[in-house]
Amino acid sequence: MLGILRRIWGDGASGQVARKRMQFVLMHDRIDITPEMMEALKNDMIKVLSRYMEVECGSVKVDLEQGKDFMALISNVQVKRVYRHST
Amino acid sequence: MAGKIVVVTSGKGGVGKTTTVANLGTTLAKKKYNVVLIDTDIGLRNLDVVMGLENRIVYNLVDIIEGKCRKEQAMIRDRKLSNLCMIPAAQTREKNCITEEQMKELCSNLAAEFDYVFIDCPAGIEQGFKNAIAGADTAVVVTTPEVSAIRDADRVIGLLEAAMVRQISLIINRLNAKMVKRGDMMSTEDIISLLSVPLLGVVPESEEVVVSTNRGVPLVHDRSSKAGAAFRSMAARLDGETIPLDGNSQGIFGRMKRLIWN
Ligand SMILES: Nc1ncnc2c1ncn2[C@@H]1O[C@H](COP(=O)(O)OP(=O)(O)OP(=O)(O)O)[C@@H](O)[C@H]1O
Ligand SMILES: [Mg+2]
Repeated sequence: MLGILRRIWGDGASGQVARKRMQFVLMHDRIDITPEMMEALKNDMIKVLSRYMEVECGSVKVDLEQGKDFMALISNVQVKRVYRHST
Repeated sequence: MAGKIVVVTSGKGGVGKTTTVANLGTTLAKKKYNVVLIDTDIGLRNLDVVMGLENRIVYNLVDIIEGKCRKEQAMIRDRKLSNLCMIPAAQTREKNCITEEQMKELCSNLAAEFDYVFIDCPAGIEQGFKNAIAGADTAVVVTTPEVSAIRDADRVIGLLEAAMVRQISLIINRLNAKMVKRGDMMSTEDIISLLSVPLLGVVPESEEVVVSTNRGVPLVHDRSSKAGAAFRSMAARLDGETIPLDGNSQGIFGRMKRLIWN
């Protein structure tokens, strides 16, 4: 039975899958940011960035990551072009 | 000196709060402490059957609070230990028929007479939970190694911290060492690092728990029981003793073994 489940979900120990998922979930629970708020934050960031540069909107990623003693906001943005003069 | 007021809570239901209260309380009573257990799960009382005291109930927690009886009248003495007693919850009332203030007052009155006051908290984070933690100075959070129990434990820890309950420790119940070994269950270390509260102890998944509940005799009375031994060492830790966490997947031996193997 477990063998079948393994094959369906791909190999890999489910304990570590659970740990990773919980890291993510607890972090969001603790700071009380809903996925909708993260989406709004992302859109606001795009808006601000777009005053200075042209960014690839579809590429923008915003994540909160838990370090050992701190939490970090990590964002990856693909920049197409930087404006010489801010608009 | 006033006794310790310990609330046992979890967020998620059915993870082992009542079992924990019965076993920690019984262990400390066996060490000659005066111990009282309060069932605050109004409407869904269970501590009485787990302790095997269901036939002796006359008055309950709500009767004390509403002044229908003196608190001594509602306390049921344990069958084996004369220095252990229990206050049952009301079965036909609702959780919001008592207030946090009333619980605080009762707890501090009891702590003047008893060395340990254990509070069996209902599942959830509503009024019943708020009442249960209101008078407590120490909290034991029970979780199992499952995602939903852990998530709820984290939420409860946040609420306890916000309520200024300062001493919080964690019990991991129903750990299945075999599953941890083959990687299909989060380990003690995984859970501790997620929740970042000190560990009081780990209880293995065990049929003995069911058997002892069937009989209404707490596990710690059985000297040969492994799960009982886990509860005994947790009670000792709660009482300030330093007892190493045993080596079968956590603690120093487990860690050493892994260092050597890896
Ligand atoms: N270590 C264990 N091994 C096996 N079964 C266990 C273990 N701990 C608890 N159980 C079983 O799990 C069930 C729930 O336990 P318990 O009543 O203590 O949980 P609870 O948190 O008080 O539940 P509730 O939220 O409903 O009050 C019981 O049937 C009990 O026998
Ligand atoms: Mg219970």
